[in-house]
Amino acid sequence: MIGHHKYSVLLPTYNERENLPVIIWLLTKTFQDNNIDYEIIVIDDNSPDGTLEIAQQLQKIYGEDRILLRPRAGKLGLGTAYVHGIQHATGDFIFILDADMSHHPKFIPEMIRLQQSKNLDVVTGTRYAGNGGVYGWDLKRKVISRGANFLATVLLRPGVSDLTGSFRLYKKEVLTQLISSCISKGYVFQMEMMVRARQFNFTIGEVPITFVDRVFGDSKMGAMEIVSYAQGLLKLFIAV
Amino acid sequence: MTRATEAATFFGITATIYLALLFQWLPITLPQTVQEFTLPVLPWWALVTFGAYSLGNIGYHVLTFRDCPEAFDELQIQIAQAQSDLRSKGVRI
Repeated sequence: MIGHHKYSVLLPTYNERENLPVIIWLLTKTFQDNNIDYEIIVIDDNSPDGTLEIAQQLQKIYGEDRILLRPRAGKLGLGTAYVHGIQHATGDFIFILDADMSHHPKFIPEMIRLQQSKNLDVVTGTRYAGNGGVYGWDLKRKVISRGANFLATVLLRPGVSDLTGSFRLYKKEVLTQLISSCISKGYVFQMEMMVRARQFNFTIGEVPITFVDRVFGDSKMGAMEIVSYAQGLLKLFIAV
Repeated sequence: MTRATEAATFFGITATIYLALLFQWLPITLPQTVQEFTLPVLPWWALVTFGAYSLGNIGYHVLTFRDCPEAFDELQIQIAQAQSDLRSKGVRI
């Protein structure tokens, strides 16, 4: 595709004072090394640990046209963070990824290449196909993950290998339409966006990514999580 | 059609065909072994097959799961790089 493109990165943050400098350093390095026009929109939900303050210091280094700060008054959720961020995005493409460095910006050029080669509406990173992988999961976590993915595939038949992944590239108007049609919250929201994308016949491509889970040991995968995941799946099953 | 209605339609049609064959509502004569032995246990067979497929699928993917320690190592190095570079530019890390 010819023509100039700009990529806006939406970065919702909550208590990421330590991770934010590094992820921004990696993002800006990747964009600069590959000559890609970009902006990074940091949407901080009033983190008590000073995330916004360090974002302001980074803004001084990289420029206010590259690092945009659009903070909010409190922890208001992921979907609304994206809506809030998109309103200020001047790019024609949107990247979303986690601010805790589980997603590595080095996959960005490949995602852009794939998007351009087939003019895809959505490109999603996958941990489960090709050369994708995860660091930091024990056997139990792997079984739960694969079980969850299997269940989601059987029920929703999404056509993507990694349904709960959240490292994605969207055309801006595609993301806007998807967000406005989604009804769920949390990570089920990420799943719903993929299923809706299929529903609206958007074209989707996948790029294998490595996912470094540094929060291992911390039980983010308790029984409650599994139950709410199953509930989310069921809601999507009957709604989409 | 939602995913749920697609599933319901599929199972509805399959169930109707199955029951039609089982209770011989259609003017079709199946071989005796099929009619008396195979058909009645078909649903259970399907269930067990699905269960086995599920376990096999999950087990296979867990066995072939790719760990990526090299990604972790690379990230550690880059974290150190990033922090020292930003510190030198005045960010209080």
